[in-house]
Amino acid sequence: MSVSLSGHTDRSGHKDEPLRYSLLGSTLAVAGFQIGRLISRQRLLLAGLGVIFPAAVMMAVRRTAAEGLDRDLAVTMIYALVPEAVCMLGLLVTMCPVVADELERGTWIHVSVRPGGRRALLLGTYLAAVTWTSIVAILAAFLAVLVARVPQPLPLVGMLAALVVLSTLGRAALFALPAVILPKRALVASVAVALVVEYLAGFIPAVVNQATVSLRLRSLLVEWMGWRQKLPVEMQLLIDPQPAWVQIAAVICLAAVLLGVAAKILDFRQFPPSVEI
Amino acid sequence: MLSLTHVTKVFGSVIGVNDVTVELGSGAHGLLGPNGAGKTTLLGLITGQLRPTMGQVHVFGERPFANPRVLRRIGFCPAADLLERRATPREWVRYLVRLSGFGRDAAAERADRELDRVGLGEAMDRPLSTLSKGLRQRAKLAGAMAHDPDLLVLDEPFDGLDPVARHDLVGLVRHWAVSADAVAGRPRTLIVASHLLHEVEALHAGLAVILGGRLVASGTAGEIRDMVDAMPSEVRIRCDAPRRLAEAVCATPGAESVRFEGEDLLVVATRQPRVLAERIAHVAVENRFAIVEMAAGDRSLEGIFGRLVRLHRGVGS
Repeated sequence: MSVSLSGHTDRSGHKDEPLRYSLLGSTLAVAGFQIGRLISRQRLLLAGLGVIFPAAVMMAVRRTAAEGLDRDLAVTMIYALVPEAVCMLGLLVTMCPVVADELERGTWIHVSVRPGGRRALLLGTYLAAVTWTSIVAILAAFLAVLVARVPQPLPLVGMLAALVVLSTLGRAALFALPAVILPKRALVASVAVALVVEYLAGFIPAVVNQATVSLRLRSLLVEWMGWRQKLPVEMQLLIDPQPAWVQIAAVICLAAVLLGVAAKILDFRQFPPSVEI
Repeated sequence: MLSLTHVTKVFGSVIGVNDVTVELGSGAHGLLGPNGAGKTTLLGLITGQLRPTMGQVHVFGERPFANPRVLRRIGFCPAADLLERRATPREWVRYLVRLSGFGRDAAAERADRELDRVGLGEAMDRPLSTLSKGLRQRAKLAGAMAHDPDLLVLDEPFDGLDPVARHDLVGLVRHWAVSADAVAGRPRTLIVASHLLHEVEALHAGLAVILGGRLVASGTAGEIRDMVDAMPSEVRIRCDAPRRLAEAVCATPGAESVRFEGEDLLVVATRQPRVLAERIAHVAVENRFAIVEMAAGDRSLEGIFGRLVRLHRGVGS
């Protein structure tokens, strides 16, 4: 989306580039800036923990299993640890504070007076959160698969990477809503959303779970692992029978709708000047 | 360029701005008012961060709230301190310029040029957390000006600066307001909000005084001083015989009204406080009154604001 305005000469007298507001350019600027913020000792340490934790769990489990780990069990565990737990925790840290961080640092006021700054802030932070969390989670999945000594590890890592990307795309958008509605309580609200939407509604075998990322990810895992026929009947209620492309499209559509709503809400947010009121 | 028509902004039960109507053309304008007067709220309305509860705000002929066409032409330096600590001024200003729609290279060039201009050339690669408040203030100013706006809005821009830095930045901002027209050929507007009269006066700006969310006076600094001087000021005299002193004072030219507060305090309203003070001294000596205390009206900015409010409400004029 771009809004073109008339060109003008700058103060130095030569013809300047046209005044052009590009949402994409602003979004990339925000994403770059946010990733710069994430590259700090504290955040890198957290990311390191996120990478190591699933592998540590898998190592502990492998040591207790006398006859080695069953492949299906190992994949289920890695799925629960990485596309679910690591992604969820990573996004809670990176996506939830999208507005709260700016208010706390006194930067919101600078960003909100820029053309499209509000939307760029949301989308750029989304992009940074998805990129950062995906990288951490893919590394975690790779390490966990290596440690679990699962046969044919590379296709498995590829599948987990795809699930990680879909998980972060969908859940970062889900966390964008509490972040813009309740910026100062975003973390608590997001945890509540994760529990209620993803892990309660997501496991209710009814229409309501169609709008959850967890249903789509589970269904993809079952589809790509070829487990559909193996699942007991009662477990089949917890997955969607549609083909993989439908699940992927559903996550992308869900993310687009959630981000659109969050952007619209952020467009209208007003924060009273605390100094004066 | 900018007009507010009967604009009111309410936050819950608090009125931030109350029925303000003002039209500003190009040039420098000062918004003067004590803390809590509603200056920041008014600037929030002008810079498109807030929507009016009632009335209309137009900047460059359009409503500014979240309007990219208008926001592209506005530069804003807020009063709140910049707590973004890890970024350097160079990174911060480049980021803001990119958010204003410029590409990476243009943003880098503009940020460096502006940081040099505000005197941060040496410190532009140091993290903001290591800079003094004055230097962070310069970084904020550079961020507001680097994209070459047509309307520059500065909220308490010189707050926390030492006198030398204040002098430098006043000069810089004044130069911006004056030189813009001549070089670029476009009308420019500068709005500076402050609670310090001399800061706004130094910018040679027209003044609007805001108090309690209302605009109570406007004009040049001289006009406002004349208006204030034309208002009666109060002389407070604490003595052992206030009623007898009042009899003598009433016969003095220039004494407009008297009132008593408590047993020993006489308050006289006058437009000629010096003449009145001399007369009181004579009367006190002649009649052997024991004057414990005599204080002239409050000439501080707060006092001036208080008197302007009374004038605005039709009291004591």
